[in-house]
Amino acid sequence: MHWTNTKRLLAGLAVATTLSTVALALPVEAASLRMAWSQDATGLDPHKQTAFSSLRLLELIYEPLVRLDEKLNVVPAIAASWDFAADGKTLTFKLDPKAKFTNGAQVTSADVKASFTRILDEATAAAARSNFLSIDTIDTPDPETVVFHLKTSDAPILVAMATVNAAIVPASEITAGSIGTKAIGSGPFKLDSWDPNSKEVLSANADWAGGKPGLDGITISVLPDETAILASLRAGQTDFALLNDPLVATLVPAEANMQLNRVPGLAYNVLQLNPSRKPMDDLKVRQAISCAVDRQQVIDTALAGEGQVTGPLTMPSFAEDPSTLFCYKPDLDKAKQLMKESSSPDGFTASVIAATGEPPYAANEAQVLQSQLAQIGVKLDIKMMELKVYVDTWLKGDFDMAVALNGGRPDPYPMYNRYFTKDGNLLKVSNFVDDTLDSLMKQGQAETDPAKRVDIFHKFEQHLVEQSPWIWLSTGYGYTAQLKTVHGFVGSPTGTLFGLAKVTID
Amino acid sequence: MMRLLAALFRHPSGRIGAAIILVYLVAALLGALGLTPHNALKQFPLDRLKPPNATYWLGTDLLGRDTFSRLMLGIGQSFVVAFASVAGATLAGTVIGLLAAWWGSLWDGVLMRIMDVLLAFPAILLALLIIAIVGPGTFTSVAAIAIVYTPIFARVVRGPALSLKRRDFVDAARTFGSSERYILTRHLLLNLVAPLTVQVTLALAWALLTEAGLSFLGLGTQPPAPSLGLMLSESKNLMQHAPWLMFFPGLTIMVGILGFNLTGDALRDILDPRTERRTA
Amino acid sequence: MSYVAQRLLTFPLILLGVSILVFVAIRMIPGDAITAMLGTEAGLLTPAQRASLAAYFGIDQPVTTQYFRWAAGLLHGDLGISATYGKPVLQIILDRFPLTLELALLSMLIALLTGIPLGVLAATRNERPSDLMVRILAMLGQSTPSFVLGLLIIYLLSVWFGIVPTMGTFTPLNVDPLANLGQMIFPAITLGFAFAASVTRISRSAMLDVLSDDYIRTARSKGASQRSVVWGHALPNALIPVVTLSGVEFGYLLGGAVIVEQVFALPGLGRLVLDAISQRDYALVQGTVLFIAMNFLIVNLIVDLLYVVLDPRIRLGGK
Repeated sequence: MHWTNTKRLLAGLAVATTLSTVALALPVEAASLRMAWSQDATGLDPHKQTAFSSLRLLELIYEPLVRLDEKLNVVPAIAASWDFAADGKTLTFKLDPKAKFTNGAQVTSADVKASFTRILDEATAAAARSNFLSIDTIDTPDPETVVFHLKTSDAPILVAMATVNAAIVPASEITAGSIGTKAIGSGPFKLDSWDPNSKEVLSANADWAGGKPGLDGITISVLPDETAILASLRAGQTDFALLNDPLVATLVPAEANMQLNRVPGLAYNVLQLNPSRKPMDDLKVRQAISCAVDRQQVIDTALAGEGQVTGPLTMPSFAEDPSTLFCYKPDLDKAKQLMKESSSPDGFTASVIAATGEPPYAANEAQVLQSQLAQIGVKLDIKMMELKVYVDTWLKGDFDMAVALNGGRPDPYPMYNRYFTKDGNLLKVSNFVDDTLDSLMKQGQAETDPAKRVDIFHKFEQHLVEQSPWIWLSTGYGYTAQLKTVHGFVGSPTGTLFGLAKVTID
Repeated sequence: MMRLLAALFRHPSGRIGAAIILVYLVAALLGALGLTPHNALKQFPLDRLKPPNATYWLGTDLLGRDTFSRLMLGIGQSFVVAFASVAGATLAGTVIGLLAAWWGSLWDGVLMRIMDVLLAFPAILLALLIIAIVGPGTFTSVAAIAIVYTPIFARVVRGPALSLKRRDFVDAARTFGSSERYILTRHLLLNLVAPLTVQVTLALAWALLTEAGLSFLGLGTQPPAPSLGLMLSESKNLMQHAPWLMFFPGLTIMVGILGFNLTGDALRDILDPRTERRTA
Repeated sequence: MSYVAQRLLTFPLILLGVSILVFVAIRMIPGDAITAMLGTEAGLLTPAQRASLAAYFGIDQPVTTQYFRWAAGLLHGDLGISATYGKPVLQIILDRFPLTLELALLSMLIALLTGIPLGVLAATRNERPSDLMVRILAMLGQSTPSFVLGLLIIYLLSVWFGIVPTMGTFTPLNVDPLANLGQMIFPAITLGFAFAASVTRISRSAMLDVLSDDYIRTARSKGASQRSVVWGHALPNALIPVVTLSGVEFGYLLGGAVIVEQVFALPGLGRLVLDAISQRDYALVQGTVLFIAMNFLIVNLIVDLLYVVLDPRIRLGGK
């Protein structure tokens, strides 16, 4: 029963190490966790949702084949074990025989095949589709075995599978067309009710293959104002909260009854330029902007110091010292010189879009950038948009510049493949086609030697920063605040709240 | 006009109201001329979130901008939106009200029912709908607030216009050969000035309130232009770090609205003879 | 034509106008039902998929056809299905309505209980210090935006007293009356403050009017006590404008207090509209706005009819 041990070990994490197994075996008084967040989930289809809050909710309900632990290692989820063939072209999963959907059905290889067929179907418009284009065929020799045959060698596909966007859903629900309206997963919790923009009620899935969750259930309330969330924690009306606003998060440690969990995240704040529009089509203009931006000042001013200057590669295993990247030391003289040599020597006016409240500091960030770029004669008009309008505009690439908070992945390939390769599904957003980037991406995908991959992606990063289609600014932290009556939560750089599965409450 | 101002300054609450409006106008004007203690848009990165002090009289915000200077510009912004939208509403409302009264019968019914339809929506809701259609911005706010308050002016104008129309002097003027347009403008408008003046002043108070409310929801003035409502909503998450960022914009909005309300009340006392009996 | 008959006749006409306006306005908002449902992913649809979805939502039809379809649905109480909630719009509205109704009632109660006595007090002590005090207070009340007062209340409560009203979810009165009141009282005070100010002012001026009427002088000369003159004879008549004002104000409050619900994070009708607009949930915006406007019209109709009952002069066509 080797898989049970593995499973307890990873899911238990800190709990397992600090508390003994005896303590785990004792009957713990389980209770319901009152949780709050400011942005509600926007939908229930795990394959389509891209909003952070939707992913956070769905990660508690659905499971992918594998998931990432808090150190970003790939660990078992529905799959108990896997095997990558030496040529990197065949990937075999053994499913956990205990994995069950909340409708009582066993999770079988047929469900896995159906799920990936759905993701790959263009009509589904799945968010992670372009990460799985190397899949050729999927075999299901028996109910517990799935074999992926790949067209090309694709090392990062395993990490790409470790997201709820690649969750395994019941084949029967796909046939019934009820994915997105009913949430039937195999995760630690099941969704009892959802009242959008108001609350979610989750109850523990006692049959979860990972063991019975430490909570009876979770009630998530939507409190649009994070100060209100803090007040609600202070009053003991909320046990656990997801915070987005660094300003609010910094207040938590001062509270006697609360604890702040701060985890460096993979998501990055970025100023996206649109190189398909004049004058951002001019490399000199883009580089001038990059040199004029004082990234540390943006962090200090707009984010209350909560963040770290970053290049495109935000994951610790690939990141390099940002100060070595092109113009990461602000250089106003160089910026002015570049502007003078560019197609718009007298500066220009451009509009920059930002989403209201997402992230909470978006307006501040835009205003700081506006004042920095004014120094080289670039006049920015800030257009604040409601999230929905912003996302629509962003997806169409209908902007001069955009202030964005984009999600990160533990591997550079699934993270940037969709923006910076010729067949990326978000090429319309980046509007940047570059042969060097494209070929480096392909090399990085095919290469299986970890050290060589790091080299390849460092080249990718340096070239990307020098081309400056986007100005990478900072990575922030993921924050959760909890009352001291809540125990055992472990956060993750991916921002997942999956750690709630092992949380207990006094 | 001068007599009206003199009367206003004799009226106890009118005096206070007019003084407030005057101070605000001066502040807005100075702000527009750039005569603020600091550049309202300039960020002083080293002086972020400073409480009120000798350099920054009302403290600084998160980006290190001077609150006092921003308030001056914010007042200007609020006034521009309020005056422009009330001017629009007065013009549109007066025209609609006069036409309804003058044409009468079917047209009166149609025009006033359209006004009733608009009145069936809470002001902020109607403004939200309009903004959803056009997208937020200063001009949208002006248009939205103007449309919201047009029916009120139409109603205010239609009543007196209707009663005036029936009066003999209009008929007399007609028999003397005056053109229809001349009668409309001269006699009717003169007799409408009193109720309109009062209504305009009170509408300015509502317009200030609505503008601040829309900006508070992030749907009015867009950053970095300072706006009182926006400053207040930005202060929400800083309530504990920097309460001054909440107090001063809040107070500024409140006192501004108070100024127009006091003036409006005083004007009503002065211009509407019916009320004299009440305060006597 | 009698006043009542006229009001009853124009009512459906205005309702028709409101429904057309709402329908047209929603269609003018950029984006459509498809983007509303698929959100970020709509950009990835092929033209053929788009066309079939357009047919599914009926937005491939001419606007007039769409309107008649929608209007026919309305008559059966069918407001459509919300794209975000996946539930009938009417059901969502009815889920949110109790909070809004309670908030409106509670703030009206606060307004009437404080406003009428203060107004009467001020009227009977016309131009004396207590009158002045009441008038200043009322003026301040009318000039304080709800979001300023709401924020101030939250600040004072949380920073000075370390307490906070429950936010986010709504505890219905019948489930836990105490928790419910604890949650609703501060938003109700916030809304009720300006409302009370209006009630104070109108009841004061109405009382002044009535107190100078002949019949009051007659009552006084007949030796009726001040108390019975004020509360017994004068007040009932002075209440007529108060009823009108409260009715109109109540009608607006039933539309949801968009800003106060936002400040106190209450899931009422106001926030429903705000969220629906920002999520471009057309069916929901359409249905909720219509519901709100209808509420307002019905309350106004009732107030007008009540006015006729209370003030016989109108019925007789005197005034």
